[in-house]
Amino acid sequence: MRAHIDDPAAADPLWEHLRGYAALGGGPLTDLHLFLEEIGYVAAPGPFLPTAALFAPLLQAIDDDLTPAVLDGDVTGTVALAGSDGVWTPNDDPVKTFVAEADRVDWVAVVSSEPAVTLVASPPVRRVATIDPSRRLFEVDTHGIESSATVALDGDVVDALVERATVALAAEMVGTARRLFDMTLAYAKERIQFDAPIGSFQAIQHKLADMALELERATSAVQYAAMAIDADDAERHRATHVAKAAAGAAATRAAKDGIQIHGGIGYTWEHDLHLFIRRAYGAEHWFGTRGEHLDRLADRVL
Amino acid sequence: MQLGWGPEEEAFRSELVAFLDEYAPPEALVVRDFADDDAAGDGATGMAIPDWARKWQATLFDHGWMIPAYPPELGGRNCTPIQTLVYLEEMARRSIPRSLHFPGYAIVAPSLLEFGTPAQQALAPAAIRGDAVWCIGMSEPNAGSDLAGLQTRAAVHDDHFVVNGQKVWTSYAAVAQKCFCYVRTDPDAPKHRGISLLILDMETPGIEIRPLRHITGAANFAEVFFTDVTVPRDNLVGALDDGWRLTQGSLAHERAGLWVESVTRLEHTVGSLIALAQRRGVDRDPVVRRRLAETYERAASLRALGYKGFASYAQGSAAPEHSYMKMATSELGKACFELGMELQGAYGAVVDTERGEEQGRWAHGFFVSFASTIAGGSAEIQRNIIAQRVLGLPRS
Repeated sequence: MRAHIDDPAAADPLWEHLRGYAALGGGPLTDLHLFLEEIGYVAAPGPFLPTAALFAPLLQAIDDDLTPAVLDGDVTGTVALAGSDGVWTPNDDPVKTFVAEADRVDWVAVVSSEPAVTLVASPPVRRVATIDPSRRLFEVDTHGIESSATVALDGDVVDALVERATVALAAEMVGTARRLFDMTLAYAKERIQFDAPIGSFQAIQHKLADMALELERATSAVQYAAMAIDADDAERHRATHVAKAAAGAAATRAAKDGIQIHGGIGYTWEHDLHLFIRRAYGAEHWFGTRGEHLDRLADRVL
Repeated sequence: MQLGWGPEEEAFRSELVAFLDEYAPPEALVVRDFADDDAAGDGATGMAIPDWARKWQATLFDHGWMIPAYPPELGGRNCTPIQTLVYLEEMARRSIPRSLHFPGYAIVAPSLLEFGTPAQQALAPAAIRGDAVWCIGMSEPNAGSDLAGLQTRAAVHDDHFVVNGQKVWTSYAAVAQKCFCYVRTDPDAPKHRGISLLILDMETPGIEIRPLRHITGAANFAEVFFTDVTVPRDNLVGALDDGWRLTQGSLAHERAGLWVESVTRLEHTVGSLIALAQRRGVDRDPVVRRRLAETYERAASLRALGYKGFASYAQGSAAPEHSYMKMATSELGKACFELGMELQGAYGAVVDTERGEEQGRWAHGFFVSFASTIAGGSAEIQRNIIAQRVLGLPRS
């Protein structure tokens, strides 16, 4: 992970392993989400999430010939959709934003406002530096892109795709939150101050209990959303917003209270904690923050 | 894949619904913000359990719908865990209470059945049917969160005990026939070891009950004083000095599903909050919208957590999820009522039956909700329990 910060190719051996699971992208979200929790637990870099949770379902929806190769893990891809505001709704903006791994995947699927999708290999991209080096995000410039085939999409397909990806990301965030929580719980049991493990102090116990509650309810909310999406249940839209909002609450709380309980050691570059804090906050700001999802939830319940 | 129960569970639900449609009295169908809202009197007269509630509890028992997991002679029909959850779900959805006095059916009867002598076990059916009202003597002025520090003393004689001391926050004491009373029988033992559990007849000379008016002005609990109260030796439940273990007893059959009622109540409260915001014309306010959505999100994720815990339980695993539910639902409930007050501006503090919203429901509910994060183990104690028993952190 640390090597990947300077050299993205350092994550290639990991992809060689993960590609065998790309088929999960074509199956139920209830399966994929368990795998993604583990991806989040280790803050795995590389093209797994964009390929399995975005590119594969989009290709499936348009019945593209590439689909089997993607599900076999032979072809990687990502989806470019958000415009200048960073929101994942179809738009006319020529520059697409927050596109994961755009420079290293085989294909970028550009979704335009019609909506329609165009597959592009090696479009011009610009890396945008974020707090999270484990997830490389790019702007994709679609000016002058030449494409032989643009396929029209049903608006519902785009909504379903984004919903699926949002829950997939929320699953990843739950994994990252669990990692932050586990590291912090272990530290609280071993760190001695005032001749006692700091985890024996009520102030620390109560923080950990609250972190655990946020984590448990987020885990459950994400699992429920995955089930609702798989079942095509009417609850799936609300459940998606609940899942991403709850995952955001769990991940950011685990990050903040996690470093607080670690104290000074957590503030060092050398300690791994910040790698997960970065992953947590990076994910919180991708595919809608907690606040944005609560606002969209309000639009559905008010 | 489909989200929901299967045809067998739905058939079971239909059976329950048919029973409810035929027998549930109109008073049971009134939606309440709290389980025992109308089992409250004023400070002068103490509390009363309404007649309809007594009859309804007996009807549930007689038809095997009181504790479905129990056999018919105990008011049930030998239901499976899943059927029990469906039952609790449907009762909660319709906001139908089983009983307006929980100690007898939820705590006393299960403990008697597990730890009691045959004669004591024979008291269980009446406790479940509600024919006998029970109170539980636990908290004392100096033993609240530190329950094991209780000081009510029972001197041990050959064939009887003599009890002296005081209990407080004793719910239903004024209407109870019997008390499940935790007393200290060995003052020299470490505090968890010298406690015993006795059954007291509330008519016994030396018991004095003073209704305790609480923060809302109602009085559904009391102080209970014991002065040289003689209790037969046969009324000892479990072994002498082994009472602490019995404080943990409750309805194990339903523990995995009790969250359903609190979560459903919360969802109902959230729905009422949304309606309130719309009536008050503040539902377009972005701050209000986000806060309402947050209450919805919290309630929805707690429901998911409850079902996840139930799934573990039904598969025979431990379900730590349930440790979180009491703390989380009580704190969210309190926050909802406070938000309900806030949405009303100047009228938030109004409890005038002819002014403001819903006869002061939100302010009243807020005050009642203070109890939810204190009674039955404060939210802080819940956090200690989660930290120590679920997360394995060391005791201080």
